Amino acid sequence: MIGANGILAELRKNAVTHVVGVPDNGSRVLFELLWADPIIQVIPVTREGEAFALASGLYLGGQQPVVLMQNTGFLEAGDALRGTAHNMRIPLLVLIGYRGYHTMDTDRVDSAATFFEPTLKAWQLPYALLHDDDQLDVISRMYRRAATDSLPAVVVLVESTE
Amino acid sequence: MLNKYHCLEQLAKRRTDEIIVTTMSVAAPWAQLSDGPLDFASVESAMGHAADFACGLALAQPSRRIVVLNGDGSTLMCLGTLVTVAQLDPKNLTIVITENGTYEVTGNQQIPGAALVDYEQLCRGAGFKRVCTVTDPADFEASLEMLINGTGPQVFIWSIAQAKEPVPQPALSIAERAQRLHRALLSDS
Repeated sequence: MIGANGILAELRKNAVTHVVGVPDNGSRVLFELLWADPIIQVIPVTREGEAFALASGLYLGGQQPVVLMQNTGFLEAGDALRGTAHNMRIPLLVLIGYRGYHTMDTDRVDSAATFFEPTLKAWQLPYALLHDDDQLDVISRMYRRAATDSLPAVVVLVESTE
Repeated sequence: MLNKYHCLEQLAKRRTDEIIVTTMSVAAPWAQLSDGPLDFASVESAMGHAADFACGLALAQPSRRIVVLNGDGSTLMCLGTLVTVAQLDPKNLTIVITENGTYEVTGNQQIPGAALVDYEQLCRGAGFKRVCTVTDPADFEASLEMLINGTGPQVFIWSIAQAKEPVPQPALSIAERAQRLHRALLSDS
């Protein structure tokens, strides 16, 4: 499990203004915490591709958004990511829940996990895995990476938030 | 039925400091009328994502009006955005859906639901309270007044005649256009 409070603290440290995305079981606790947060505004969207477009508009308008979704939705959102945040060179931190991670060494592998990391690599997205609270600083590290490259960078939430 | 080029000319005459987001068959003719930092062609981007992008701008810049000139095919590609925008309720966002029933820049192939889909009903069903379909040129001037000065989120459906715009090719890359817009908005705030 990853502490949602720790993630929120990292987002606040980086002056994040908005979290745009779609909740899932793994990010449920984090979303609930964000909904209650008086500083960061949550923007729920109907499909993950919208998150990249809407966050790109927020950034160009002077805000500091982050995108949050599950890997299933990420796989669906490829063209939106390419056509907006990537092509517009938006420094955008993307938090992605890793559905199926623990199935990969089993006889019933979740294809959401099978396709996920190869897709991150194919789409040339720098990413870091976040397994537990001892690694929370990867959020700030990848936030800086996105700013340095002026491109999206990904933190993968391997475990559910609690 | 409206003439797209006439509609754009009239909008350009009335426009002051609004951000105008265009896409597909409207992008090139609008750029002929205005191509400054506050004109953003959502071209070389992702089809269907002009309105959600514009919604992000509207939320980030609540004191500035945003008008997005979207197509009917583009609207269908991300229909959920109507719901997203309605629930977020940005008072400064106006969506125009240019309805011609085709994918114009790829050769006017018929879009799904052409002449069947009722965009006004779709928008109202998604939660928009201010929706206006404009079919008669005689009504256009009055509708333009609402478009420029009305409280958003609002949708105007322009029923337009088919034309033959090619794929738009802006002079600047989308990254350059984005940076130009970003700089303009930050320098004003």
